[in-house]
Amino acid sequence: MSSQAKTDSRTRLVAISAMFAALALIFSYIEFLIPLPVPIPGIKLGLANLVILIAIVRMDFRHAFAINAARILLAGLLFSGVFGMIYSFAGGVLSIVIMYLLYRTGLFSMVGVSMAGGVAHNLGQLLTACVLLQNTAILSYFPVLLFSGLISGIAIGFLAYIIEKRLPSFS
Amino acid sequence: MIKKADIILFIIILAVGLAVTVLPLTRTLNDPEVKVTVNGETYGVYPLSEDRTVEILQSTSDGTGTMKNVLVIRDGKCFMESASCHNQICVNHGPISGRGQVIVCLPNKVVCEIVGGGDVDVVSG
Repeated sequence: MSSQAKTDSRTRLVAISAMFAALALIFSYIEFLIPLPVPIPGIKLGLANLVILIAIVRMDFRHAFAINAARILLAGLLFSGVFGMIYSFAGGVLSIVIMYLLYRTGLFSMVGVSMAGGVAHNLGQLLTACVLLQNTAILSYFPVLLFSGLISGIAIGFLAYIIEKRLPSFS
Repeated sequence: MIKKADIILFIIILAVGLAVTVLPLTRTLNDPEVKVTVNGETYGVYPLSEDRTVEILQSTSDGTGTMKNVLVIRDGKCFMESASCHNQICVNHGPISGRGQVIVCLPNKVVCEIVGGGDVDVVSG
């Protein structure tokens, strides 16, 4: 590959990353505007995870992580607030690391990866809540979040699988 | 598209989920305790599982006499046995045991409330 072509593909990747970050931010915003009609806080579909999942598959860990970090930072500044940002960040980092590791093993489909990611995200948030509130009683909330993370993770995994197949190549 | 490892992972997560759901239920729930507050300050917290008698003594605001409330914990319930106040509403209140129930002695500013040991109702973001 000539150096010119290399620069081109790098530029392409950066542009796509920025688009992905914007898309993930919009997804976060939609979820903020239209919460799921359940009376329990913390249960979300995790639409933004759709973008992150595809970024993990199509790009690499660094880009996916940067996209997620940009989304969390911007969403925190724009609507979810500083505490929302801390919770999101803990959940986001844990879930992206788990999802990447599972994806790299090659054993799991996107549904399995997303499922684990959903659970990891909720677990990360819950552990952060324990630290911030200095209270371990919140852990009794874990079963609810585990099952909701599992279900929404599977739903998002299916969606990501369908979408990823239809996406044109990035390079 | 679904691989075997996906299903195994699903079952593992499900099993962990069920375990963490079922385990706390087999344990007895947090023992309820009675929290005694005098004039807004916590005087003491006593488990309802142990029988005991708590004397709540305080001097009157002018410092000349003492105010006394006797709280009795027996058989998982607690009641105000006697009080130095004039209306005796707290004594007539009868025993309490359920979480959130209170006995209040307004003249002596004594509040006895049943709390579930350190449990959280709602955490709002």
